[in-house]
Amino acid sequence: MNWISTQFSRHGRYINVTAVLIFSILFIFGPSIITEAIDRTILAGLYYPFYKIENFFKLMVSQVEANDQLRESLMILSLQLSEYEEIQRENIRLRDALGFTPPSGYHLLPAEVISVSGYKMSMSAIINQGINDSVFNDDPVINQDGLVGRISSTTPEYATVQLLTDPSNRVAARVASSREMGIVKYKVLIGMILDNFPLHGSITIGDTVISSGLGGIYPPGLILGYVTEINRDESETFCMVKLTPAVNFHSIDEVFVLKAKGEM
Amino acid sequence: MRIIPFIIYLLIIALFKVILQDLTTFYGIGINITALLVMIVAIYKSEIISLWFGFIAGLVLSAGSPQHFGAYVITTAALGIVTYHSRERLNLDSLYSRLLLILFGVIPYSALILLINNIDGFGYLFITNILPSAIYTTLIGWIFFLIKEDRITLFKIKSLF
Repeated sequence: MNWISTQFSRHGRYINVTAVLIFSILFIFGPSIITEAIDRTILAGLYYPFYKIENFFKLMVSQVEANDQLRESLMILSLQLSEYEEIQRENIRLRDALGFTPPSGYHLLPAEVISVSGYKMSMSAIINQGINDSVFNDDPVINQDGLVGRISSTTPEYATVQLLTDPSNRVAARVASSREMGIVKYKVLIGMILDNFPLHGSITIGDTVISSGLGGIYPPGLILGYVTEINRDESETFCMVKLTPAVNFHSIDEVFVLKAKGEM
Repeated sequence: MRIIPFIIYLLIIALFKVILQDLTTFYGIGINITALLVMIVAIYKSEIISLWFGFIAGLVLSAGSPQHFGAYVITTAALGIVTYHSRERLNLDSLYSRLLLILFGVIPYSALILLINNIDGFGYLFITNILPSAIYTTLIGWIFFLIKEDRITLFKIKSLF
């Protein structure tokens, strides 16, 4: 033993170099089973934890990418959904309008409202039909609920509708049941009223008020609104009748321009 | 306990090969961390340690391709022992001499590894890949020596701001 340790300390360098050379030659020419076993050991002992970490980060990155893609798809789908819902609503409105018949002697020119203006209450609207479509000033505009207003100005492509809610707009009207007449107008802060109605005229709450056709602009029989309040002051000549408009002016969308037959 | 630093060096080689290599390689020019570590060990440690660390580092480096075990092991162990003997015969007090040793150690080592892997276009790769990679590795070695000799310290970095 002593001889071995003496030899090792004296020739340690050569012994180590020789050992390394022998191992290297063994790895080069030896059976692959040895190198494969060493390879597996190194991979499992040194590389495996880092592969796990790498895979974890790769998985995280791929999940973030997938998340972004899903979010984008969700946004596109929600946009499509809102588009479909709008189409569905339009479909319902058009189905309602389909069964709608114009007053006799008139035909309907469909139009779409493209903008509405007015302070607190819509007073005018622009529709996508104009002089090119034979739309002219004072043509009545209606929808399936009743009278919307009249054309106040036109361009070749578009026309402006003066709505019933414009305080300067007046419509000769009558109570549908009693045929007694008045003037429908819109007052700021009060709302739609039936003015110039006789103090002792026959009218009850819930009565329908329609156009009388006497003004020369609107045909008779178009629904204007429904009676909601009647104030009879004996000191006055006329009574004050409040109406609820038949048309919801906050949601006008598709309308029809009434054209007398033979005008187009 | 004396073996722990060497295990850490081997873990650094594995970590670098799996995760950091792609992050630190630009246009195919990367750090040869195995050569750098083997040469640093050879500069500071004994001949036997340099030889056996080169041997083990060669094994770790060639993990995944056991057919190259022998060639890698002999090349890396040779790098360790040649660096050790160069250090013994040269005056390596100067930082620049150590950097030159690393530069001229990494170049033939990388060339031999390229030859072992039998990759076509050796001449082209030597110019476009091995030389820039050796310079890149030397730069990392320079930073290492600056930190080891306390020329770069946290205190000095803090004083910059």
